Amino acid sequence: MFGTLFLKECKQIAKSMVYYIYVVVFVLFLTSQFSSGLTDYMQEPKPGKEHYGSVTSHEPSAVIEKTLAELVLEASDNSFSTYPLGFYKGVTLNEQEEQQVKFIVEQCTGKSWDQTVQEMERHFSSYERDTMQGALQAQTSYSVVPKEDLSYEEFCGFMEKVCAIVGPGSSYRKESLEAGVSVPMTYEQAKEEFEDLCSKDQITGAAARLFCDYAGIILAVLPIFLGVTRCLRDKRAQVSQVVYAHKASALHLIGSRYFANVFMAFFPVTLTAFVIQMPYQYHAKTIGVAPDILAFLKYSLVWLLPEIMAVLAVSFLITEFTENVISIFIQVFWALGSLFSTVTLRGDFGLKLTARWNLWGGANEFWLQRKELFLNRGFYFGLALTALAMTVVIYEKKRREGETLYGKVFKRRR
Amino acid sequence: MGITIEINDLSKNFGKKQALKHVDLKISQGMFGLLGPNGAGKTTLMKVLTTLTKKSGGEVKICGILVEQCNKIRQMVGYLPQDFSMYGNMGAYEALDYLAVLSGMKKKERRERVPKMLEKVNLEDQHRTKVKAMSGGMRRRLGIAQAIIHDPRILVVDEPTAGLDPEERVRFRNLLCEIAKDRIVILSTHIVGDIEATCENIAVLNQGEIMFRGTVSNLLEAVRGKVFTLEVSAMELPMIRDQFLVTGILTNGSMANVKIIAEHSPLKEAKPCSPDVEDAYMYLMHHAPVWNGN
Amino acid sequence: MEKYLSVGGRFLCRQYAPHLLLVLLFCLMSGFFVSFRNLNASQAAKVMEMYLAFTGILLMTPLFMPEQDREIWLLERSKAMPLWQLYLVRVLEALVFLAVVVAIFVFLMKKGGSVFPVGKLWLGAFAEILFLGSIGFFVSGITNQAVLGYMVSVLYFVANIGASKYLGKFALFQMMKGDYGFAPAMSAAALAFLGGGILIRERRQA
Repeated sequence: MFGTLFLKECKQIAKSMVYYIYVVVFVLFLTSQFSSGLTDYMQEPKPGKEHYGSVTSHEPSAVIEKTLAELVLEASDNSFSTYPLGFYKGVTLNEQEEQQVKFIVEQCTGKSWDQTVQEMERHFSSYERDTMQGALQAQTSYSVVPKEDLSYEEFCGFMEKVCAIVGPGSSYRKESLEAGVSVPMTYEQAKEEFEDLCSKDQITGAAARLFCDYAGIILAVLPIFLGVTRCLRDKRAQVSQVVYAHKASALHLIGSRYFANVFMAFFPVTLTAFVIQMPYQYHAKTIGVAPDILAFLKYSLVWLLPEIMAVLAVSFLITEFTENVISIFIQVFWALGSLFSTVTLRGDFGLKLTARWNLWGGANEFWLQRKELFLNRGFYFGLALTALAMTVVIYEKKRREGETLYGKVFKRRR
Repeated sequence: MGITIEINDLSKNFGKKQALKHVDLKISQGMFGLLGPNGAGKTTLMKVLTTLTKKSGGEVKICGILVEQCNKIRQMVGYLPQDFSMYGNMGAYEALDYLAVLSGMKKKERRERVPKMLEKVNLEDQHRTKVKAMSGGMRRRLGIAQAIIHDPRILVVDEPTAGLDPEERVRFRNLLCEIAKDRIVILSTHIVGDIEATCENIAVLNQGEIMFRGTVSNLLEAVRGKVFTLEVSAMELPMIRDQFLVTGILTNGSMANVKIIAEHSPLKEAKPCSPDVEDAYMYLMHHAPVWNGN
Repeated sequence: MEKYLSVGGRFLCRQYAPHLLLVLLFCLMSGFFVSFRNLNASQAAKVMEMYLAFTGILLMTPLFMPEQDREIWLLERSKAMPLWQLYLVRVLEALVFLAVVVAIFVFLMKKGGSVFPVGKLWLGAFAEILFLGSIGFFVSGITNQAVLGYMVSVLYFVANIGASKYLGKFALFQMMKGDYGFAPAMSAAALAFLGGGILIRERRQA
């Protein structure tokens, strides 16, 4: 029975307007992000260039320099990014607090605030900041030199004071310092990076990673609508009673609906990934690297499928429980919160719904954090199955008692 | 084990409201009519029988199986709800096939049964018509087809003829009688005419209690000799209405022919007449205490 | 006049209340996610454009929800009051709520010691949030599916995060960059969506 129901559900999904919007928006979003010419990044680096991108460092001196740089930038704009609850919250200080922060900077650098600001302006004016690339280079190469006798412990003490002023969740908290900072890459590092790209990623792996980064953003939102539409369809068409009275178990009914939606949501993703991968496959061959042809499938299975499953399962759960559209708001909020709460665009996966890796390559760094990603995706896979199981239970309960707990409250109101 | 439904001391509460109060019923093969005013508890009773609502107390057995065993019960029972509907964008064949899958039927079986059922309910020419484009009658016929496609031993139909035109209503009733040849068909309605034409055994439900159970002739027997007709002037009508239970008025110019129910002949000029089920039902609702026709 | 107040009030209590509650909840939660203190003009605009913008979707999209049920729609159509008047009353209600919510946020930011052009920000934010909401209104109106309305308006917001440069005068998040020139175009578009939604809906369904 499951197979037949699954096919029938797929057919129904293929006939729905929401699904077409899903496919069109997904494809447009992805293709607009992947313009051609990105293969330029995949050339072997040549010595003597000024910039080779950036890399994460845990060296105390580097951490101090880059953290101070960020503090100077944020203090000069008086705009501090914080993530108190995992969501972005911009903090602006009053005059007294501002003075305190500037004083801390002075103590760290041993220079006056004005002098530090002048140096900063000089640094940034030497870059073409109209282009994305120029702005990025200016950012990665900017650092603030501390006074000579500043120890790392002393520095941490100062940063604690900054945290007390700015509030929880700033870039100056201990965890953030421990996560390392982004510093410019040297030629040797860039060369090593390229070798990793060829050996570990086989070129296509890097492309697949970037694809998953972009796709992950939109897939935190898009499947919500598929789930809500499916669950509200029975109510809209007034068929719940008829369906309830049949033999099919809740597991069969909800399971077939859910997996049909997962399949239909995932199918265009793999297809798009495959098409987008093709130029990179070709590029790999031209530079003499054997591409990993299945990279698109591997990465989307591990990276995107659990996300689709979790988003769909949660929308099934909330919608079956409440029988209204509230899950759209809850889940859009969740998705945007997760998106805006990313401190770094490479790794730091934690338990975020959208796993980011907005970087060409970084094979070595990624390989080190792979486990964290697996844990994260494993969590969402588990979450999806749990939510699905709960949906089945709620559905069966509604079927036996005629209405949900929530429905009783709501119906009385009317 | 024959085809029977046994209901013992069944109660159902919605919060403080008692929808069913200690209902006892035994139903055997054939058409069974469940009569009662709106809100009497008919739909609740049917939902208990079709596992759509949990009972609060008592025991219900269908062919010897307790109603708590949902899976077995759902296989034995077909249900046509009061407002049957289906996904609007499905055609008749598609919708029926979908619901047959939900009944656990294999592909081969469905290929055979679905066209047969469509033919039985006269929808074979409209097998591609979308549900949203169907008339009330067509939809109802599709509903009956889905309720009997898995050949259930019990068929439960809730207010099936409401909103049908007279011709369709007659056809629908005949279809039900045909189906009832080898199973139980429970027909719930507040339209007395439906019962009169189809059911031998009936029960009357009011405010969650069984007011009557027995055969149609038992019901008629109770009111025999208590139905009268008389001719009054139109001026007297309000007075008659105040004093007696009036079940029919036929005005003819300034005069009116009224049909009333009373324990004894109320006036000299009143003539006794033979009662119909509607009279009996009205009498039951207004006069009789809980009463067992057996 | 009384009849409009009556239908408006009925809608408010019976159908609109849960949505208003959601808006209220959304506004109450703002303290956790955005700051009202010591903002400059661009930061104040960010609060409006990135956070408060959702109230537009919340307020405008569900206005056709009762009539999604065909029976109710047919019944209402048979009455003396034309449906467009009924819808218009609801739109006006939503506009009032939107204006109040935007004003409250402006007030809170002002009270927190922020510095920004009050009138300009109120007008700009109102126009932009209304525009986003009117997309949801329009789509849910012509498709008779509120879910689609939410979907398109939310996706429009998300699309603007990455691709606002392709959208010209209809790009969101312009006040953050100090550009208020979008307001007339967006207001006009919002009005077109509101009027068009009602008009096309009644044509299509008939």
